[in-house]
Amino acid sequence: MKKHPYQKMTKTLAVLFSITMVFILSQTLWAAPKLEQSKAKGGDCAACHVKAKMLPDKHADTKAMNWEACKTCHTKDNLSLIGKLPGSHRHQLAEVNCVKCHGKTKKPEALTMEQCVACHGSTAKLVEKTKDVKPTNPHTSPHYGSELDCNLCHHQHAKSENYCAQCHKFDFKTP
Amino acid sequence: MKKDDIKEKTLSRRNFLKTTGAAAAAAMAVGGLAIPAKNAQAAGDALPKKWDETYDVVVIGSGFAGLAAAIEAKNAGANVVVLDKMPVHGGNSIINGGDFSAPGTKMQEANGVKDSAEVMLKDMLRAGLYLNHPENAKMVAYGAKDAFEWSESYIGARYTKLNFHGGHSVKRTHGTITASGSELVNKMYAKTKDLGVKIQLRTKLVKFISNKEGRIVGLEVRKDYKFPDESTGKTAFIKAKKAVVLSSGGFSQDLRLRQIQDPRLTDKFGSTNQPGATGEALMAACIAGAMDVQMDWIQLGPWTSPDEKGFGYVPLFCEPLVGYGLMINPKTGKRFFKETGNRKERADAIIAVGEPVLIMGDSYAVPKQVVPEKLQKGMEIGAIKKFDTLEDVAKNYNIPVDVFLKEVARWNSFVEKKKDDDFGCMIFPDTKPTVVAPFYVARLWPKVHHTMGGLVIDKNAQVIGFDFKPVKGLYAAGEVTGGVHGAVRLGGVAMADCLVFGRVAGKNAADEKAWG
Ligand SMILES: Cc1cc2nc3c(=O)[nH]c(=O)nc-3n(C[C@H](O)[C@H](O)[C@H](O)COP(=O)(O)OP(=O)(O)OC[C@H]3O[C@@H](n4cnc5c(N)ncnc54)[C@H](O)[C@@H]3O)c2cc1C
Repeated sequence: MKKHPYQKMTKTLAVLFSITMVFILSQTLWAAPKLEQSKAKGGDCAACHVKAKMLPDKHADTKAMNWEACKTCHTKDNLSLIGKLPGSHRHQLAEVNCVKCHGKTKKPEALTMEQCVACHGSTAKLVEKTKDVKPTNPHTSPHYGSELDCNLCHHQHAKSENYCAQCHKFDFKTP
Repeated sequence: MKKDDIKEKTLSRRNFLKTTGAAAAAAMAVGGLAIPAKNAQAAGDALPKKWDETYDVVVIGSGFAGLAAAIEAKNAGANVVVLDKMPVHGGNSIINGGDFSAPGTKMQEANGVKDSAEVMLKDMLRAGLYLNHPENAKMVAYGAKDAFEWSESYIGARYTKLNFHGGHSVKRTHGTITASGSELVNKMYAKTKDLGVKIQLRTKLVKFISNKEGRIVGLEVRKDYKFPDESTGKTAFIKAKKAVVLSSGGFSQDLRLRQIQDPRLTDKFGSTNQPGATGEALMAACIAGAMDVQMDWIQLGPWTSPDEKGFGYVPLFCEPLVGYGLMINPKTGKRFFKETGNRKERADAIIAVGEPVLIMGDSYAVPKQVVPEKLQKGMEIGAIKKFDTLEDVAKNYNIPVDVFLKEVARWNSFVEKKKDDDFGCMIFPDTKPTVVAPFYVARLWPKVHHTMGGLVIDKNAQVIGFDFKPVKGLYAAGEVTGGVHGAVRLGGVAMADCLVFGRVAGKNAADEKAWG
């Protein structure tokens, strides 16, 4: 089928756009946050990313938004944000800022999963919650039971990953 | 750049010049030759000005061997630390199939199996093509029962099934309740922690540090290392007052090293191992003077599937089925090898066929032999398939149907008379003809599974150097060592090996005289 020139152009634009996005993302998105940025509101992209454009042109102004506000458009089935935002952003949007996890410190250290469990509740509950996920429950395994460190998949300052995929063909989408 | 800065700060420069100077002088005195790197290292490193941490015994690796060593060293009164480079404990041991071979156990007795350490040793040597270091193989065969019972009574691991593995002459492999090594390694891990042993993950061994006499006195490590990113981690120096136990596992995932040893093992072959099963710790020991042996005997698992990643579920389907079901070459529709043959024989036979082959069993054998949960998972991901008729099996895999039906009938006739005229496959007393629908089938293609070779140790788990003398202060156990298995490791014998030698290594390391 012959493509309409306009179609072609949008395609080129899309490619260009994604290249630019990848560049921007790799330059800014996964960079470690500075402490002074910790007070920034979650929706205030520019507070940390400065001039880099993080959102599409048509995106509503997020400056005053919190996680609940994001969810009015981004649902699980529509425009899902799963895997799109590093966990720390998700936290920040829910007003869980750096200090709430790392404490007041000049040198924030990596955390253990006790910190996660302290707010999110027991892993047993989580296992129950995801028991029907296919092809298998991601929160329990014959190897580590329910005690695999949350951070191995749910990264806070980098893109989340599917730790199981090192050895298994489980195609989980990791928030 | 950064790394060097740190080193510069921690290492005393004068000390460095002094020791290298001494090494050069020593080399001159011996033969007046230019001094090769290895001798320089054996003659002593620059000791760090300051050790960041000090322990009696430093154990590298948190698998079966390392934790066995840590537990015994601690119980012998030593101050012990366990280091592992990965963010999780357990190495290959935690993804292992949970099969532990030991002769003369209660479970064997309850199943009417007559066995002895002598017979197990014979099996190991025969499969190992007599390349096994006999004294070490004997340690494992004769020590396996005690190690197995220790794992039950002291560690609390539970075993519920007596399994057969190809190459053994009897059923002597004890399966954990979960068909996973995690049952044992997690309980060992908990025990290690309960005993007060510190376990540091994300800590990578980079280099052994020896003194002027060539004694191992400590380690250079990277802390907060994020596998596999070599730019991560901070250098630290750890002093081992008594000894280091190296239990860093095998190198099946080390593409570079494994191809140097066996150039056929390119990335065309997957591996069943955890991604951190690489050889840098083994090679660091060699640089510090340890001798390696039989590094090119690398085992392919003949029971893995091309239809799933890693070890997967199919081995837990295939291996309990051999002797109860049959393997078919789909091209010819015929059997092609003894199903109960050892791993090497079978993997070689499959590679000779040149494309994936089939293992199959009927609705008598499969439910009886295969752990239901594993079967179900294997089916869910499509690596194991179920068919209502043999004709359907033939159709699905493009097998010439007439030949295939005849071949199944022929196998069934062998089962009836308990003797396989074609390949000499073992047929068990409770094996029945493959006739009950539905039929279960999986494809097989080998993956790199175990590295038999590694460091030379004596029966005290002391590492031997290129001068045939023990490398003082260095013990090793588990898959990082070579010699126990010779050419072929039999199923379930790695667990026996790791526990027997891990415990010996831990005890002896704790008994060393502290150097400083
Ligand atoms: C999928 C699978 C199933 C198996 N099933 C069985 C079975 O049923 N029965 C049986 O007997 N055998 C089985 N084996 C073999 C057996 O599990 C292994 O040989 C055994 O677990 C090795 O134990 P180990 O303690 O020597 O090493 P591992 O358990 O591999 O532990 C070594 C540890 O050392 C760490 N390490 C490596 N290099 C460094 C470094 N530079 N610095 C710090 N740490 C380092 C690794 O990260 C790892 O955690 C299986 C193997 C696999 C892969």
